[in-house]
Amino acid sequence: MIDWLAFLLVLVASLVSTCVVVAAYSLGIRLLTVSGRTPIVTPAEFTDAITIVTPAEIRQAEKRAAKAARKSPLTESQKRAALVGAWACFGVSALAVLVGVYLIIGEHLFELFS
Amino acid sequence: MDLTLIVVLVIALALFFDFTNGFHDTANAMATPIATGALRPKVAVTLAAVLNLVGAFLSTEVAKTISGGIINEGDGGVLITPQLIFAGLIGAIVWNMVTWLLGLPSSSSHALFGGLIGAAIVGAGFGAVDFSVVVSKVVLPAILAPLTAGLIAYLATKLAYAITRRYDGKPDGRDGFRHAQIFSSSLVALAHGTNDAQKTMGVITLTLVAAGLQTSGDDVQTWVIVTCAVAIALGTYMGGWRIIRTLGTGLTDVKPAQGFAAETATAATILASTHVGFALSTTQVASGSVIGSGLGRRGSKVRWRTAGRIGIGWLLTLPAAGGVGAIAAAIALLGPIGVLIDAVLGVGIIVTIFLLSQRNEVSASNVVSEVAASGRAVKIKRNPKPKKGKVAK
Repeated sequence: MIDWLAFLLVLVASLVSTCVVVAAYSLGIRLLTVSGRTPIVTPAEFTDAITIVTPAEIRQAEKRAAKAARKSPLTESQKRAALVGAWACFGVSALAVLVGVYLIIGEHLFELFS
Repeated sequence: MDLTLIVVLVIALALFFDFTNGFHDTANAMATPIATGALRPKVAVTLAAVLNLVGAFLSTEVAKTISGGIINEGDGGVLITPQLIFAGLIGAIVWNMVTWLLGLPSSSSHALFGGLIGAAIVGAGFGAVDFSVVVSKVVLPAILAPLTAGLIAYLATKLAYAITRRYDGKPDGRDGFRHAQIFSSSLVALAHGTNDAQKTMGVITLTLVAAGLQTSGDDVQTWVIVTCAVAIALGTYMGGWRIIRTLGTGLTDVKPAQGFAAETATAATILASTHVGFALSTTQVASGSVIGSGLGRRGSKVRWRTAGRIGIGWLLTLPAAGGVGAIAAAIALLGPIGVLIDAVLGVGIIVTIFLLSQRNEVSASNVVSEVAASGRAVKIKRNPKPKKGKVAK
């Protein structure tokens, strides 16, 4: 017997959870940028596969970000609100992951430690 | 041959399969974060090994699928002897090593199922295999899971890019996805542990049931869980060092936002499937996600020939490993001497392949093969400018 319901469940559950996590995180990044704190994360190790970021390029990127932040039409309090919003979004993203993992393995964890 | 001796042999072989599985699949979780520079290769590989270890303890749903269902063992079913499981494992390991050497994309899980099914058919006839369970729990997930993961990764990538897109040319902060990738790739490694380590646990449990040391339908024993977890973690860790050597030759063009979306989709699909007991191939899901997320980027185009080659590799695995398993089973049925011949042949092939791989240069095509090849199936134009009103092309 083919369990189509289980497939549908997997599709919907993974689709919803992925979209929630990715959307919340992206929104967080957007708000972080709006608040004038554009994240500039340099690659941990330079491989051929990525565009190599030299220290000079990193400084340039930081300068561009700072310039964009200075020209921002937002007031200081608006920027602060955006920053709070950004962290709230990251929080939602992390929470969604934790809830998802808990739903799947929580029961088993109880069995393991009881 | 002594029953205990053959059981010990089968368990050793199963653990070796688990090791090759980890070895084969480190790339699934860690290829993208290493490619975007989110994690240092050493850190990435260590993290993957630890999380595989943890993941193996977290679920036994998939192990139950394998040990109870596909093969009609126990009361009213046919007798599956440890010898047949031994033959099936030889089929799985040989096919796994051959594809690894040739750089053919293949799924460790399908190799395992194929080998076991082939051996069971030779040993006990077609009645030994419950084909409806094979279709519903192995074949269909194999087709649907990569499609699901690909679709989800495509949508998630579009979403991530749409939300962070800026038309004024100011910095968009997409670098920040590198931080997220650390977590999403960890989740993939964890999910891999929950799904793939289970497969070996299932085989060992099947052996114990076949040898009459455990009743069918019982829980997986603790020592089985521990040894399987350690074997897959060790394999993952050892596999990683080859990947580090490989990275110099270039992976796919993966951007942090895209990598994050792909990894999240992979992890979500695997975890959800594990929960309902689908023993899907993590390799195929990860490949589906990489292709899907590539398509989600602007200016991308599928290279259908590469994608088709990957698809054919997937289709071949089950029957090919089944063939090897069937031959091994036919030899094993000769009696103790047959098992001995199998063992000698198996070890001979493994050693030969290992020596051949040492001679060959390590390149992207034979280590990070599957996932990297999936990435190459999507052609992306370099940084086309975003245009208002015509966003998704």
